Amino acid sequence: MSDPGRAQVDSLGEMPPPEPAAAAPTGLPVGQAKSMFQLGFEVFIQNKLAIVGMVVLVLAVVFCFVGPLFYHTDQVTVNLLTTNLPPGPGHPLGTDETGYDQLGRLMVGGQASLTIGFAAAIIATIVGTVWGAIAGFFGGLVDAVMMRVVDAILSIPILFLLLFIVTIVRPSIPVMIFVLGLTAWLVPARLVRGESLTLRVREYVQAVRVMGGSSWHSVLRHIMPNVIGTVIVNATFQVADAILLIAYLGYLGLGISPPATDWGGMLSNGTAFIFTNYWWLIYPPGILIIVVVVAVNLVGDGLRDSVEVRLQRR
Amino acid sequence: MIGYILRRLAQSILVVLVVTVIVFILLHQLPGGAARAILGPRATALQVAQFNTANGYDQPLLIQYFRQLGEWFTGNFGFSIKLNQSVSSLLAQRLPKTIVLSLLSLVLTVVVAVPLGIYQAVRRNRTFDYVATGLSFIFYAAPTFFIGIIMIEVFSQNLGWFPPEAPQSNGVGPIFEQFDAMVLPVVTLALLSIAGFSRYMRSSVLDNIDQDYVRTAQAKGASPQRVLYHHVLRNALIPIITLLGLSLPALFAGALVTESIFNFPGMGLLFWQAAQSSDYPVELGVVIITAFATVAGNLLADVSLAIIDPRVKL
Amino acid sequence: MALLEIRDLSTDIALSKSVVHALDHVSLHVDAGETLGLVGESGSGKTMTAMSIERLLPPGGHITGGEILFDGEDLVQLEEPRLREIRGGDIGMIFQDPMTSLNPVIPVGDQVAEPLMLHRGLSKAEAMKRVVEMFGLVGIPSPLQRTRDFPHQLSGGQRQRVMIAMALICQPKLLIADEPTTALDVTVQKQILELVDRLRQEFHMAMILVTHDLGVIAGSADRVVVMYAGKVAEMADVHTLFAAPKHRYTDALFEALPERAAGTGERLYSIPGLPPDLVEPPPACRFAPRCRFAVDACRAQVPPMTRINTPYGPQEFACFVPRTTPLHEPEPMDLRTVVPEVARVEPAEVGGRGWVAPTTFIPADGVPILQVQALVKDFPVTAGAILRRHVGDISAVADITVSIPRGRTLGLVGESGCGKTTLGRLVVGLDVPTGGKILFRGRRISQLRGREAKEGRRNVQFMFQDSYASLDPRMRVRSILREPLDIQHVGTPRDRNERVDELLAAVGLPARAAERYPHEFSGGQRQRIGLARALALQPGLIVADEPVSALDVSIQAQVLNLMKELQRDRELTYLFISHDLSVVRYLSDVIAVMYLGRMVEVGPAAEVYSHPQHHYTRGLIDTIPIPDPVVERQKAKLGVRGELPSAMNPPSGCRFRTRCPMAQDICARVVPPLQPGGGSEPMAAAEVEAAVASAAARGTVPHMTACHFPINGHSAADTLVEGAVSPVA
Repeated sequence: MSDPGRAQVDSLGEMPPPEPAAAAPTGLPVGQAKSMFQLGFEVFIQNKLAIVGMVVLVLAVVFCFVGPLFYHTDQVTVNLLTTNLPPGPGHPLGTDETGYDQLGRLMVGGQASLTIGFAAAIIATIVGTVWGAIAGFFGGLVDAVMMRVVDAILSIPILFLLLFIVTIVRPSIPVMIFVLGLTAWLVPARLVRGESLTLRVREYVQAVRVMGGSSWHSVLRHIMPNVIGTVIVNATFQVADAILLIAYLGYLGLGISPPATDWGGMLSNGTAFIFTNYWWLIYPPGILIIVVVVAVNLVGDGLRDSVEVRLQRR
Repeated sequence: MIGYILRRLAQSILVVLVVTVIVFILLHQLPGGAARAILGPRATALQVAQFNTANGYDQPLLIQYFRQLGEWFTGNFGFSIKLNQSVSSLLAQRLPKTIVLSLLSLVLTVVVAVPLGIYQAVRRNRTFDYVATGLSFIFYAAPTFFIGIIMIEVFSQNLGWFPPEAPQSNGVGPIFEQFDAMVLPVVTLALLSIAGFSRYMRSSVLDNIDQDYVRTAQAKGASPQRVLYHHVLRNALIPIITLLGLSLPALFAGALVTESIFNFPGMGLLFWQAAQSSDYPVELGVVIITAFATVAGNLLADVSLAIIDPRVKL
Repeated sequence: MALLEIRDLSTDIALSKSVVHALDHVSLHVDAGETLGLVGESGSGKTMTAMSIERLLPPGGHITGGEILFDGEDLVQLEEPRLREIRGGDIGMIFQDPMTSLNPVIPVGDQVAEPLMLHRGLSKAEAMKRVVEMFGLVGIPSPLQRTRDFPHQLSGGQRQRVMIAMALICQPKLLIADEPTTALDVTVQKQILELVDRLRQEFHMAMILVTHDLGVIAGSADRVVVMYAGKVAEMADVHTLFAAPKHRYTDALFEALPERAAGTGERLYSIPGLPPDLVEPPPACRFAPRCRFAVDACRAQVPPMTRINTPYGPQEFACFVPRTTPLHEPEPMDLRTVVPEVARVEPAEVGGRGWVAPTTFIPADGVPILQVQALVKDFPVTAGAILRRHVGDISAVADITVSIPRGRTLGLVGESGCGKTTLGRLVVGLDVPTGGKILFRGRRISQLRGREAKEGRRNVQFMFQDSYASLDPRMRVRSILREPLDIQHVGTPRDRNERVDELLAAVGLPARAAERYPHEFSGGQRQRIGLARALALQPGLIVADEPVSALDVSIQAQVLNLMKELQRDRELTYLFISHDLSVVRYLSDVIAVMYLGRMVEVGPAAEVYSHPQHHYTRGLIDTIPIPDPVVERQKAKLGVRGELPSAMNPPSGCRFRTRCPMAQDICARVVPPLQPGGGSEPMAAAEVEAAVASAAARGTVPHMTACHFPINGHSAADTLVEGAVSPVA
C-alpha cells in the first residue's frame, strides 16, 4: 500500500455481492436516505390489491357517513303503507318490512357496523397489547398465569361468549363496542407476547445490556417499535373480524336493538322473506358485508407486506 | 413421549379449570345472581333467600366455587328454566348431533382444501390460482348465514335439489337416513374453513418448495411428482394438524349459526334458543362443554403432532 | 477426453425488477478421476456454476447460453426424464448445510435408499442392505440403527456423512461438492475431506469441489478454477496456482490471507471495495475497480484468456497485467498504478477534538485489565412430566482462570460447543456465572450496584458475530451509534452527534452512512458499524465473538486490519473468540485453547502455535487446512478424531481423553492441573504465581498446559503417526 497507515475501506458507492436467492440490496444511493416508514409506504402503494381495498374502504365510509347528508330518509318512523316495496322510483333499493327505505337503512346500518368494527378493534388491540406485553416482559409465573387465562377464553368460542353477554346486557352501540373489544383481545395478546419473547433474546436487545441500559430502555427503544408493526397489521384483521361478529349477532337477533340496526340485523330480517324473493332485502347487506371485509383483509395483507419490508430487503 | 402427553394433559386441565372460574364469574354477573337464573324472574325475594341458603349461595365465594366445580364434574349442570329438563340430559341429546355435523364438515374441509391448496401451490400465479385465491378471499369474508341463505335459495328453492331444513328427528341415526337434508348444512359450514385451510395449505407447500431438501431430492433424480408427494407433502401437511385443533372454536361458532339457519336441533340451536329466552343454566352448560371439547381437541392435535412429527421436542 | 466440459455457459437469475447475470461465458472441464477445485468469494458464481450443471437453479434462474457436455451429452439441451437419470445416478451432489439439505421428517436410511430405487430399480429391502453397507463405508457407527434415525437425531458430522452416502450410493462418475465442510467444525471438516478423498479414489470418481477456503483447495484439488463476478479469472493446476498466480485477483486473494502475516503481525493486504453489481456488469475487467495494477485497457475492454504452459500443465488467466514473479518473490513497486479509486473514501469531517484517542487512559501499572478466576458456568437441564426436576447440568465453562495484559489480544479458540462464547458472554455480563470471579482492573463489576454498575459496564464492550442480528433493523446508523452514548449520558446531545461522526471516521465509513439503515450495508460494513458501537463508550476491553467468521477473505482482512489499528491507536485490549486458528494466530498475543468447558492450554501465541503441548491443540493445528499444496499434502493424516462429546456429562478427569491418542488410566481419574509444562503433579501455588508474575513483567503470560502427558519437544510427535491413533467411536 502506498499509505499503509490508513485503513482500507469499502466503497459505499459499490454494491454488496448479489445474493441470487433474494433481491439484492441496492447499495447506498447518494440521494436522500429513506425512512423506514417511507420504504413501507412504497411497498404498500405498489400493492394494487391493497390500494383497491383502501379505496373500497374509503368509499364505504363515505357511503355510510356522508351519504345520509345527501340522501334523506326516515329511519325512525314505521310506515306500514310502504312495506316491502321492490326497487323503484323514490326507493332505489325498495323498502323493508317496516317500511324503511332500504338504501337509507344500509347507510345507517353501515354506520353501526363500521363504528363498532373499528372501535372494537382498537379496544381489543390496546387491551391485548398491554396484556401480552406484561406477560412477555415479566415472564415466569406471571406469564404462565396470564397466558392460561388467554388459553381458557380462547377455548370458549367467542360467539358463545358474546351471545351470553348480550343476554345479560341490553345491546347498544357503545355496549357492543365494549363487549366485542373485551372479547377479541386474545389474539393480539398472544401475538405481542410471542413477539416480545423472541425480541427479548435478539442480539440488539442484548447489546443494550452490555451498554448498561435498563430493561425499560430495551422495551421502549427496541421491542415496542418492532412489535408495533405486527400490532397494526393484526388490528386491521381485528376490524374485519369485528364487522363479521357484529353481523353474526345481528343475524342471531341479539344485535343492536331496533330502530337502530346493522348490516347483520338487516340480513336477519331479510331472511324471513327468502321464499318470497324479496332479494333487495338480502343481497345488498350481505354483499356489503363481504365487500367491506374483503377490503379490510386486502389492506391488512398489504400492510403486512410493507411492515416486513426489512425482511424483503435482506 | 408419555412425559410430553402428561405435561400437555396437565396444562389442559389447568385451562379447563380457568374456564370454570370464568363461567363461575359469569354466573355471578347474572342479574339477580344464580338464584334468579335458576328460579326464574317470577320468584319472590323469600324464595330467592331460601334458595340461596339451601344451595349454599350465602357462603363465601371460594366455597361456592368449589361446590359448583364439584357439581360440574359430576355432570350436574342444573335445570333448564324453559325446557323443564336437566341440562345434562339436553346436552346428551344435542351434543352428538353437533359433533356429527362438525366432523362431517371437517372431513369435507380436509378432502377439498388440502388438494386444492396443493394444486394452487403447484400452479401458482396462474389463472386457476388467482381464481381460487379470489374465491377463498370472498368465502373467508362471507358470513356463514349469508352463504346458508344463498344455498337455500339456490339449491333448495330454485333447483329443489335438497330440502331447506336439516333432519329434525332425535338421535344421530336419522341424520344418515335423511342424508340429503344434511348436505346443505355440512357444505355451508365447510365453506368458510375450506377458504381458510386452502390458503394455509397453499402457503405451507410454497414454504417447503423453497427448502434445501427439495433441491437434494431433485439432485437425486426424483421426478417433480415424487418431490411433491414424497418429500414436500410430508412436511407441508404437518402444520395442518395444529390448524385442525385451532379451528375448533370457529367450527363450533359456525355450527351454531348453521344450526340456526337450517333449524338443525344440535347444541348450537339449543344455545341460541336459550340465549333468546335467557335460559342461563343451558347457556352455561353449553359454554363449559364447548370449551372442554375445544381443549380436548387441541390436546388431541398436539399429541398427534408429537406422534407424527419426529422433530417435536418431547 | 474430458468427462465434463462446460463451454461458454451463461446463466441469468430473474429477480422481481432486474436480471442478475450470474454467469457470463464460463468455460471449464473436468477430466475423469480428477478433482477440480472451484474457488471464489460469495457472489463469484462458483455455486451457480455447480448448480447449472444439473440445471438445479434457484427460482428465476435459467441458462441463457453455452453447453455442458457430460459423457458426450449436452445437459443444457437434454430433456427432463433423461436428465433425471443422470441426477443422482451419474452425478452425485453434496450440499453445504446437511441439516437443511436432508428431509426432516423421513428416516435417513430411506433418504439414502431413494436414488437406488429410482435409478437401479432395487426393491426397498435390497436398497436398505446397500444403505447399511454404505453407512459403514462412510464411517457411521452402528449403521443399521442409524438408518432409522431422523436427521435431527444425528450430529453435524454424521449428517454430512449421510449426505455423502446418498451422493455416492449409485457410484456416480462425477461428484459435485458445494462447500461440503463450511457448516462443520474444523476437526470434523478434516475427517469429512479425507473421507471424500478416499471414497473418490475407491470409486474412481471425478469431483468438483466448490469452496471459498483456499486451504481446503490446497489439500484436495488437482486443478483449480478461480472465479470472480461470474467469470473465470484463472485456471491452473494446484501447484502452479499457489506458487505463481497470474491473475491480479488471485494474487490479491493470497495476500489477504491472515496465514501470510501470522508470525509478523504486519498489515494484511485487503482488497478495497466490493465485487461489482452483476445486473449491469461493465464491459471491462470486472476486477479493475479494485485492482492495484489496473491500466486503461482493464477499464476499457474485457481481457481475453491467455494460455501459458507450465511444468505441471497449462495455466490460463484473463488479465492484462499478470503477476510477473512467483508468489514468494516480491515484485518491483513501480508496477503499481494507482490506489484504486474506490478505496479513497473521504472520511467524515472530524473536528479538532481528537476524540479518537481515549480520554481515560488505562494506566500502565501492571494490573491486568481482565482477570478471570476459577470461573464456572453450568446451564441446568430439566426433565419430568409435570414438575420439572433438575436432572443435570451442561458444564459450559469449568474452572477457568486466565488474565489479559493491557493492550494485548487474548485469542480464544476451540470447536463449537467448547464454551468459548459462554466465557465471552460471562465476561461482558450477558450471563451470570455459577461460580468464580471476573475482575476488571481488580474490581468485580458484578458486585457494583446502581450508578457504579452502569458506569462499570462502559469498560467492557461486546462485538457480535452476526452483524445483521445485532443491529436493530429499524434504526438508522446514527441512532445505533448514539444509543450507548444516550444510555450512559455521555456529553450533550450535540456532542453525541459529533461523536457519531468521529466513530464513523474511525472505522472508515463516510459521514453519510449515519443516515442509512443496517440493511443498506454489506456484511463487512455492518461489522464496522458493530465495532464502532463497541468503541463508542471508550472501553478498555472489547470482547469480539467470531467477528469475521461470516466474511469473505478480502473483507475479513479489512476488518482485521481495522481492529489492529484501533488497538494500536487506543491501547485497546481484545478478547478475540474464534474457531479459526489462523485468524486467531494473526491477531493474538496470547492464545487460549478451550475444550469442553476447560482451558487446556494457554500461552504466547507464537509458542502455542509452533510448540503446542496439549494433544488437542496439536490436533487442532494439524487439522487447519493450510493454503499451500506442498505443506498441506505432506502433513500426515493427523488431526482430532471423533466428535465433541456432550457437555451434559463430560468425561471424568481430562475431558479430552476420549479423543486423545495418548490417553492412559490416570487421565480418566485425575483432572490435570493447568500449569507451566503440564504434568500430573500440581506445582506449588507460589511457583505458578512466580511464573505468572515474571511473564506479566514482560507483558505476556507463561505457557501453561493441562495435560498429564504433554508434548515436549520431538518425542511426542513420533507417537502421533496414524497407526498409533486409536479411533474412538
